[in-house]
Amino acid sequence: MSVAAAGIETAAPVLSHRPWWRGKIVQTAGIVALMYLAYRAWALEYPWPARLTWSALPAHFDDFQTWLLDQRNAEDPSFVFAIFDAFATFVDNLVAWFDELLLWLTWVGTTAAGTVVALRFGGWRAAAWVIAAFAAFAVMGLWEESMQTIALMLAAVGLSLLVGIPLGIVAGLSDRFLRTITPVLDVMQIVPAFAYLMPVVILFSVGPGAAVVSTMIYAIPPAVRITALGIRRVPANTVEAATSMGSTRGQLLGKVQLPLSRRMILLGVNQTILFALSMVVIAGLIGGGGLGDVVTSGLYSNPALAILAGVAIVILAMALDRSTEAIADRTDPTRRHLTDAGRRRLRLTTIALAVVVSGVVVLAKVFGAAAIYPETATAQEWLLERTQAWLDYVTDPANFVFNITEPIGTFILVDIFQPLQQFLIEAPWFTTVLGLTAIAFVVSGLRPALTTLAMVLSIGVMGMWEPAMDTFSQVLVATALTVLIGVALGVWAAESKTVSRVLRPVNDVLQTMPQLIYIIPFIYLMPVSIVPGIVASVLYAFPVVVRLVERGVRDVAPETVEAASAFGATRRQVLMKVKLPLASDAIMLGVNQGIIMVLAVVVIGGLVGSGGLGYLVAQGLVRGEFGLGVVASLAILALGIALDRVTQATRRDQRGAVA
Amino acid sequence: MNKTGSVDKEEGSMSKRVRARFTLLLGASLAAVIGLVVSGGALGSSAQSCGTVTLNEQAWAGSTANTYVVKYVLESKLGCSVKITKVTEIPVFQAMADGKVDAVLEDWNHVAQYKQFVAKQKSVVLVRANGLVGHIGWFIPKYLLKQYPQFKTWRGLKGKESVFKTAESGSQGMFLGGDPSYVQKDKELIELLGLDFKHVTVGAEPAEVARFTQQIKQKKPVIFYWWTPQYLNQQLNLAEVKLPARIKGCQDDASAGGDIKKYKCAYAADPLNKLFSKKFIQSGSPAVKVLRNFKWSNADQNLVAKWIAGDKVKPEKAAEKWVKANAAKVNAWLK
Repeated sequence: MSVAAAGIETAAPVLSHRPWWRGKIVQTAGIVALMYLAYRAWALEYPWPARLTWSALPAHFDDFQTWLLDQRNAEDPSFVFAIFDAFATFVDNLVAWFDELLLWLTWVGTTAAGTVVALRFGGWRAAAWVIAAFAAFAVMGLWEESMQTIALMLAAVGLSLLVGIPLGIVAGLSDRFLRTITPVLDVMQIVPAFAYLMPVVILFSVGPGAAVVSTMIYAIPPAVRITALGIRRVPANTVEAATSMGSTRGQLLGKVQLPLSRRMILLGVNQTILFALSMVVIAGLIGGGGLGDVVTSGLYSNPALAILAGVAIVILAMALDRSTEAIADRTDPTRRHLTDAGRRRLRLTTIALAVVVSGVVVLAKVFGAAAIYPETATAQEWLLERTQAWLDYVTDPANFVFNITEPIGTFILVDIFQPLQQFLIEAPWFTTVLGLTAIAFVVSGLRPALTTLAMVLSIGVMGMWEPAMDTFSQVLVATALTVLIGVALGVWAAESKTVSRVLRPVNDVLQTMPQLIYIIPFIYLMPVSIVPGIVASVLYAFPVVVRLVERGVRDVAPETVEAASAFGATRRQVLMKVKLPLASDAIMLGVNQGIIMVLAVVVIGGLVGSGGLGYLVAQGLVRGEFGLGVVASLAILALGIALDRVTQATRRDQRGAVA
Repeated sequence: MNKTGSVDKEEGSMSKRVRARFTLLLGASLAAVIGLVVSGGALGSSAQSCGTVTLNEQAWAGSTANTYVVKYVLESKLGCSVKITKVTEIPVFQAMADGKVDAVLEDWNHVAQYKQFVAKQKSVVLVRANGLVGHIGWFIPKYLLKQYPQFKTWRGLKGKESVFKTAESGSQGMFLGGDPSYVQKDKELIELLGLDFKHVTVGAEPAEVARFTQQIKQKKPVIFYWWTPQYLNQQLNLAEVKLPARIKGCQDDASAGGDIKKYKCAYAADPLNKLFSKKFIQSGSPAVKVLRNFKWSNADQNLVAKWIAGDKVKPEKAAEKWVKANAAKVNAWLK
């Protein structure tokens, strides 16, 4: 059987009962064709009308900010500010205390303590990661900054979990609460941090306290979502059994639901840590200190140093990721049953290890180990020189690399992006509104279509039509590339263990390395506006798609695969006709998450020449044009909500079709 | 002025609360370590007559240069202990209002913030001239002037815009716009002067540097928004294109909107400002006087910035080198 035939038949199960012209793809193409005709007829004639624009909106936000500033800095501020102040001081001191603890233990003691904790709860592999991380901080000469970042993360992650896990438990138990909190979590994740940095600073001043608060806003959502998911995944029959034996609600939660979702909750902890770490650079802008500061000033005056700091952040993230994952695996009650003897043995190990750590600290103190790993023993100079030499080589325009990358960049810009951007910006506004709504309707139904209509109109009313269409065209290109790369690599990784093993660290690096570090050198290779921004968002977003697709394809029931093989299907047939259709749910989830991730880096795009909403948000913070930044962020949010609802509903739709 | 004493006391009482939570979180395995911490009571204090001065450094190399030079002077001559924060430009005003940052040595005229924090709240004091003169303009690489001497002024650009043509700008010339955080009016200027340029936004300062250095390395034509003082100007051999002379009521910040005609002039050459926290001035620290006196030239700053960013000398070392070579200037600050 030919490959082409296999492809057509894959699509068949969902579409077979409809005539060809009712296919989603055909209808969408039809709508786009109509929009294009309208664009050809009336290009530039109907921009978003000024009459329908609420142009005073940014000024209202500006007034609000001024009011808040006046209140905050008044002679006799309201007691509300005293509460914010107290919280900021508390967190400042908490972070300072963690930092001092890490320094007081000396570098030897800190390494020993970290390793031992990883060893006791996560095992040898986790401990090895932790040692590697500390060794890296030492060798790179970034010990002090790394300890500051660790202290900041301890506080930020700890507080995020303190808020997130209880909320997650409630959301796991109550459908209504979950429905209420989901949009709030969406807002927290999609609205760019640049937009809320200023209000955070007004309420919490600058310093670790403010840095922790802005980190929490981004890091709490995964903790809530994953905890809720964990509680919901506890098998219904187990809950029923416990209830029928007369458990109270408290007993049910404490003895059945929480222990059984423990693994999920720990994975939530893991995600919270990674999300928090991705805020390190932004937190640095308002006094977070540590590695984030090294990255920011490095970008201006020492790119090699910024790269080193970025590597330190990545290594820290990977060590934390691997050890929390190991801890999650080891404490899974369904995998490991502890006998009383085992418990006693563990307790003894714990005590022994604690004694070892104290011993090491005492010895380190006696022998006068320094708080910070000695600067004279690092390889920083050498590393910086090598990195700089490598950077100079790669970015040299006389180099062959440039001769490949520059034309590619120009091609993407001139032949793909610019026509699309022109089409979206110059087409009459009403055909764009109608067209996008119609596409949403065709693709996923009435409700998402209404949401899309409302969101697109509100973008116009907020006066963000042109920059939003600019950003939308970038998001479309970036999402297309993300899905293309993500699905291909995800399927490949699911089929091959080697690929999966190679991809994992690559994914980790791309998700945790602050984007500006690699995207600014990248500008030297593709010195064309917009393209570096698109590349940054693709690189940030495709790992998520890879992970979800890989898991989805892998999780297809082995019996089904066996059955297909037994009937004589080739490997390719099994993949195309069995695995991919059955994994379509996970693939659509991948697309959905990919879009959200693309939107999350719109501001980074603005900082590397993408223009559009990202540029306005960046301008909002750094130029003190608060209102403008907020309105642009709201437009990003509106785009995000529309795209999210449309792609989510498709998923639900397909689930129905498969069932 | 012993600021550190009171801070210690606060931290002492705070750590008790914190300690309880920490123990709870990490469990018994760390209890022994924590016990040690308690008995150690390890909060060192270094009381000095000058106390701690907090300076804020901005991301650009020039700011690193002036901050570290002043830090070196305060530490070596007055025995202060200087802490450097790196809060970004707008939030740093609130930081000064709260006394968390004592001084900013190079501020590029954030007029809206001056209105709010300096004039209205009086929590930040505008100390003015640090000796630097900030000037924004249109810059080109000098080698272009050999072939096109007329590019010295904007009139020479007229009709020759296509020299700056790239794949991106189509038939027009490409103009690289500035960092979103900096004052600009180039789109307006291009329109007012009737030039056939496509204004392209290139993002933050490091991104702009990437764009034009790549053109310059290939000896290609490029015109862009740029400014002095900037250490790269000498390294890359840049020349400024003369824009129409300043007129009365001339404005630079196009985001203010209004009548477009008032933007038809060159950017101003403004003295850059020092800003102090009011609390810092009231503290009576001997550092206040030195910071008030601090003053140096664009050339000084570019030199030190070049050592730091160009030659990759550590900021501390670069500052020491400059201070040792410029005893006369430094002594004037100490008077």
